[in-house]
Amino acid sequence: MIWSLIILCGVITFLIRFIPISGIISSNLPLFVKQSFKYIPLAVLTPIIVNDLSIIENKNFFIIENFKLYAALIAILVAIIWNNVLATISIGMASFLIMSNF
Amino acid sequence: MKKWQIFKQGVLDELPLQLGVFPFGIIYGVMAIESGLTFLQALLMSSIIFGGASQIAFVQLLSNSTPFGIVVTTVGAINSRHLLYSISMVEYLNKLSISWRVILAYLLTDEAYAVSIRKFINHSNNFILHYHLLGSGITLFVSWQISTLFGILIGDDLPEFLDLQFIIPLTFIAIIVPMIKSKSTLLTVITAGILALIFKNLDINFWIILSGLFGILVGIVSNRLDKKL
Repeated sequence: MIWSLIILCGVITFLIRFIPISGIISSNLPLFVKQSFKYIPLAVLTPIIVNDLSIIENKNFFIIENFKLYAALIAILVAIIWNNVLATISIGMASFLIMSNF
Repeated sequence: MKKWQIFKQGVLDELPLQLGVFPFGIIYGVMAIESGLTFLQALLMSSIIFGGASQIAFVQLLSNSTPFGIVVTTVGAINSRHLLYSISMVEYLNKLSISWRVILAYLLTDEAYAVSIRKFINHSNNFILHYHLLGSGITLFVSWQISTLFGILIGDDLPEFLDLQFIIPLTFIAIIVPMIKSKSTLLTVITAGILALIFKNLDINFWIILSGLFGILVGIVSNRLDKKL
């Protein structure tokens, strides 16, 4: 039974990822759909980032000692200034480790 | 650039993220065994579903004896965001053979999408860019399988380097910040971010895709309004 549950979840997950590029959708998409493309990475990755920063934990705001939040703000600054992935990750991670260990 | 070089670049672009993926995989492995799954079930779920957050939700629900219907719905809800990833790649991938599309769809996860869509957007006239996604996807796949195996083998002895998971949101920050080039893209980020906090805390299953869709809508509307003025 567990096996069928795992396989069913696998099939559903695959179909979610496959259906749009399966050819069912025509490449002559309506204009508003095409316009939405550039917003997709921003619109989906932002909620994941916000969630990973644990700004609300168990329905309570967690801001004052939230080192992840501060480190993320530093990382955003680094990304704006240098536009460099490795610099953003390393400086963000270093600030988080320094803040949480000292 | 040759196919092999683009593939290699996909691998290299994906590598730093693995520092964050690895602890995540270990946590899943540990939780999967604790939930009562067998070694094989825990291990093979990582290649059958291949979706980190949804696998963790799966085993959490299983430990709480949740009805199977709810497990399936939750996994579907968590992975529903991949539908948007796939839609945004239609233009780049729809001319490929069906086997290519099957493989790339299977590999289309957050971490692979994030690094490859950046490449796709910046070099949209290159016809072999799918090798980049293949490279990033395979790298993530291999590291996910190995880290899952680690978690299963070490049992409940969670390592101390779990803080490294923070590398994942940091990478996403590094990727999306340069994409914020206009008022409409900024509004998309603000809307999706605030709504994510609200929807998640209302315990709405589809919180990621729902906040994302509102973010996209606000972006498009603001873009149109700006053009009319």
